[in-house]
Amino acid sequence: MIEIASVSKFYNQKRALDGVDLTIQSGRIFGLIGPNGAGKTTLIRILNQIIEPSAGHVRIGGVPLNNGHVKTFGYLPEERGLYREMKVLDHLVFLARIRGLSKSDALKASNFWLDKFEINPWSAKRIDSLSKGMAQKVQFIGTVLHDPNVIILDEPLSGFDPLNIQLILQEIKAMKKAGKTVIFSTHNMNSVDEICDEVGLVNQGKLVAHDHVSALREKHKTGAFKVRYKGNQIAFANALWTGFELIQTEELGEHWFQSVIKSRHGEVFSDVYQTLSTAVELQLLEEQLPGMQDIFLELVTNHSHE
Amino acid sequence: MNKSVLIAFRELKERIGNRSFKLMLFIGPLLIVSMIYLLLESGNQGVTSMKVLISDPTNLFENKIAARTREGVTYYFYEDYIEFDAFKNSPKFQEFDALIELNEKVLINKKVFLFHREEPNLQLKMKLKFEIERRMEEVLIEQFTSLEVDEFRKIKQPLNIDFRNVDDPYSQADNGVAWIGYFLGYIMIFFIAIFGTNITKSINREKMNRISEVILASVKSRELMLGKIFGNLLASFLQLFAWIVFVGLGLWVLQSLIIPELFTPEHLTGVQISDQQLKDLGMQTMTQENMPMDLVFHRVNYWWLIPNFILFFLGTYWIFASFFTIMGAMSGDESDGQQFLVPIWILLSLTIFAGYNTLSYPDSGLTTFFSFFPWTSGMVSMIKVTVGVTLTQYLGILFAWIIQVSVGSLFIVLAARIFQHGILSYSHRFSLSLFFSWLRK
Repeated sequence: MIEIASVSKFYNQKRALDGVDLTIQSGRIFGLIGPNGAGKTTLIRILNQIIEPSAGHVRIGGVPLNNGHVKTFGYLPEERGLYREMKVLDHLVFLARIRGLSKSDALKASNFWLDKFEINPWSAKRIDSLSKGMAQKVQFIGTVLHDPNVIILDEPLSGFDPLNIQLILQEIKAMKKAGKTVIFSTHNMNSVDEICDEVGLVNQGKLVAHDHVSALREKHKTGAFKVRYKGNQIAFANALWTGFELIQTEELGEHWFQSVIKSRHGEVFSDVYQTLSTAVELQLLEEQLPGMQDIFLELVTNHSHE
Repeated sequence: MNKSVLIAFRELKERIGNRSFKLMLFIGPLLIVSMIYLLLESGNQGVTSMKVLISDPTNLFENKIAARTREGVTYYFYEDYIEFDAFKNSPKFQEFDALIELNEKVLINKKVFLFHREEPNLQLKMKLKFEIERRMEEVLIEQFTSLEVDEFRKIKQPLNIDFRNVDDPYSQADNGVAWIGYFLGYIMIFFIAIFGTNITKSINREKMNRISEVILASVKSRELMLGKIFGNLLASFLQLFAWIVFVGLGLWVLQSLIIPELFTPEHLTGVQISDQQLKDLGMQTMTQENMPMDLVFHRVNYWWLIPNFILFFLGTYWIFASFFTIMGAMSGDESDGQQFLVPIWILLSLTIFAGYNTLSYPDSGLTTFFSFFPWTSGMVSMIKVTVGVTLTQYLGILFAWIIQVSVGSLFIVLAARIFQHGILSYSHRFSLSLFFSWLRK
């Protein structure tokens, strides 16, 4: 478990982080989100001991963060860097060795991951001869090849095509399955929806929200339902009457519609079903929970206006 | 430290893989050997003919020069003493290019002074020496022995002709060895400038391509910095070693293949005698008359110089490396890096000046200051050990080296502080307040 307690960071009187309190459970995928300049990278650098906090502290399993912990981290920074003139395999072996692996283990791990990502034929090529996507894969491998317990990924999906995004997301899920803790910072909210267990939203140096993804979605739901039905449109509208607001309707065919309605008084799924099932033939009824994209926009906008 | 070693070897590998490194491996020694060749050739410069006035108050030579070889020198005899100033300034003697003084002691001390207005070339010097020597032999045999010339040559002492310029008659002008020291000091500064700049560039490059953040997640900033410093040091040593080998090889080629052609007796057109004959005359080999060649091949003790060179190189590199590191860490972009190198270039230039000052005024107060000033002491020490030092003087040099390394270490600690903050800063504008804030943290 990673405990971040009252962590603040100032750069020449400019506040980058302001009293952040956060607990990240082991074996989970934690999404660290926030707009640009919110302080995510500063927090990540503090976790990696690249910089020290101006105040507060970080504990791992109850022990103050130290070099021993950081050795078990894998870190993929947002601003990627590779020794472009090095060969792929040499680069990976070098990274593995500065993370404490012996030469033979480094070589073994590098080859394992190169095979896994199907880029072993490029192992003897110079990095500056690789495509962007290929170089991104090399960077990802460099982050995980020493089998870290905590993997900190800052925008790991940028630069990847949809196929490779899925590949990376699958790897992240596999790491969770293997008991690793993943801290995943991204602007790609779909991926947060897809893989994160918990989310922390940082804005202007403060932690604005921290919860399970499902809890956040529940908390920010708007009472909207999607309904697909066959029948009379007027009967449908009459059934809604005072309890619901009709947001939009789309005609799918003859007497066949799909609408979005919103409850006025906090009605739940069963209330909606009871109200509409007698008026029309229901084909689909689902509560529309907000995506992380919507929650992000709402939280950031609200916090910025406070 | 283990990680610093890994980083150092990565840096070394990168430097070695660089095309310019490979090119300089051969071009550098080639340039040095070419310079040495030109230096040796320059020993053959000077006037090729002379009117020589021999001041012979005791009429020792009896107005004769017996063994004339070829045209080029015309001798005139003057049976009285000639004051040096009179020869130099009097209109009466202006037509003569050189004055040879034969005083009454010449037969005993075997030393003759030749004051010339313009430097004679090597062949002319050889000719003058040969002809005066031969005449001296005749006089000695006539006056003091009943020996045959060949028998006399076996027991005689060689004549020492001291060539002096009328405009600088008291100068021994024998600081050639010191020039070798200066040259080695210059090479040292040259390598430090090249490989020090590589430190700055390497830091800049890693900052710009953001790899530094990946590395700093695994190593301490100080380890990264030391890795860079030692990596570039290894690269410079490797190149230096290659230069020493190739220059040594080049000198051997010069000596074995080129110099014999240039300096065989046949080549010396004015003196049709063999090396053996020269030896018989007590003149040893002609190379001793060619000061640059003598310097390069005989008078420099490379086994003494090379370890000292390495010692001073290490000290000087150490102190300059901290500066190159600070400049790299302070840079916001690559153009900053180039601008920030200017103060270092000034310090390096000061070192070159300190060397020149040591050559010109070896005992001046300024030279003493430079010999302990950490940025210049390496150069001054290099010249001093080349010329030759007593044990006490050498202990003083070692003391200056300890000061240099200590001050260098202090700057390395400061550099580490700057580096720690600067390495993660990109595209910032340099300011002194930023510099001091990084230093304080």
